[in-house]
Amino acid sequence: MEPLETFVVESKIKSEAEQYKKIVSDAISDLVLSRAIGRIKVVIRPEDTLFQMAMVLRGSQPPVKTVDFAHVRIGTYGKSGVQIDIINEHYLPQLLDKLWAKYGPGNVSQPERKTVIVICENPHDEIVAIEQMVVDDPQRTLNSRLVDMAIRITPEGFRVRHHLLEGNHFIFLATEDIMKQEWIEETHRMLEELCGGKISGSSA
Amino acid sequence: MAVVLEPYIYEGGIHKHGLILELLEDLGGYLIQKIPAATEVTLIMLIPEMDVDLIEDIAKKLLGKLTKAPLTGTEIAVVSPTLAYHHLPHSACDVAEYLRRGGANTNMIGLARGMGRRVALSADYERRLINEHDVAIFVFGTFSDCIINKKPKLFEGIEVPVVVTGGPDLKTEDVPHADLYIGNIGRVAHRLRKEAELCALDTMSKKVGELIDQRRGEISKDPLAVLPARVMKEISDQIPEIEYVMTPAPITLQLDGLRVKLPYGEYHERIENLEFDEGPLLSEIAKVMPSKMKNYILIKIQHKSEVGFVI
Repeated sequence: MEPLETFVVESKIKSEAEQYKKIVSDAISDLVLSRAIGRIKVVIRPEDTLFQMAMVLRGSQPPVKTVDFAHVRIGTYGKSGVQIDIINEHYLPQLLDKLWAKYGPGNVSQPERKTVIVICENPHDEIVAIEQMVVDDPQRTLNSRLVDMAIRITPEGFRVRHHLLEGNHFIFLATEDIMKQEWIEETHRMLEELCGGKISGSSA
Repeated sequence: MAVVLEPYIYEGGIHKHGLILELLEDLGGYLIQKIPAATEVTLIMLIPEMDVDLIEDIAKKLLGKLTKAPLTGTEIAVVSPTLAYHHLPHSACDVAEYLRRGGANTNMIGLARGMGRRVALSADYERRLINEHDVAIFVFGTFSDCIINKKPKLFEGIEVPVVVTGGPDLKTEDVPHADLYIGNIGRVAHRLRKEAELCALDTMSKKVGELIDQRRGEISKDPLAVLPARVMKEISDQIPEIEYVMTPAPITLQLDGLRVKLPYGEYHERIENLEFDEGPLLSEIAKVMPSKMKNYILIKIQHKSEVGFVI
């Protein structure tokens, strides 16, 4: 799926929909989401005080584990420990956070810029645990940006909200009045249309 | 015969700009605001109509630019439904910026609960604050249905002229209780810099200028007992503490009064007892009252029909 291959904003008056499309477009570019969104449809019905949005995301990035950016082996610094040789420093702060939380700051040291030592009882067992430790989850960051975007583009007074974020599918509704079940169903149908008729359709 | 004063803005280098100020004083004009910015200076002035050429000559010699600023001497409220990022900073700040370029002093007012359709409302305090200004500009969004049917309830209780900006191209008479509607300035999430957007801002500045001129015309039928600019000069001369007020416009002119940014409790008696060469005290020709903005002083000058003379 290409980035933003479907980008539709609908309203009763066409010129108003076009103007609103610019607001959505600005929010997408401000939050650097254009490559993450595959298809998006927004419908605004001011006469019903209703805002609906359905979105299909382009594939999700897998969680980043220690093994993806470092070599983990038995420590050579004399004490019983694990040595982590960092290849890509980008995730180092998150890794240190996780290690501190698990082993305590006193047991984690960084003698050199790209070397981290973890003092532990059974280094052989811990090597696998550290290698498989999830250090960063890009999907989680993306989701928080998506929610931020949804709130930014919704008219401000529409504080009664309903959302669903499942896999690569995201729907968001907002209104000022009581949320109606038919509106939620309508938005689900919008999402189905975006997926080409199948809600579970592949979007990778 | 009263001297007719014309509003102008001088933009140029700070070098020797004192020559302009000296000439302005000699001619009997008034300096409304001086905004120095590094090596540049902006002077907002009221110049006697007959002597504009003299100031123009000296501005040319100093390689500066003298342009007419029809909004000089006005205080305009730019009202946004809320202070959230849905409404600010874009469009509302650009609207205010364009009005300032025309010489106006603007105050940005974000309503506490102005958002939405059914739930939008304004508080009594907010209405009173807006009514202290010469004109209120409400910056609205994209949908004509909201602008026509829902938002006008925010104008209830507003006694000053109401200007509305919004996205759709509507006629003024379509928007209930509005004195002027300006389209093509709707909700945007970027700085207004495209040609169509800038044209819309120019139109807004021009039309607000016309509205102000109309208001000036109405006031001139029953003129004010004293010019607000004259009161400003007397305050600067008789209350030296005003020099130490750090706000950008310590004395803000309005069409029929002034806002003095000094604490009311401490200074209102000195303001009321301000003397004019012609004899009267300020309290005899104007109402001095506490402003709704912070603890400032608001002065509303009375008309000739009320006091019986003009100085």
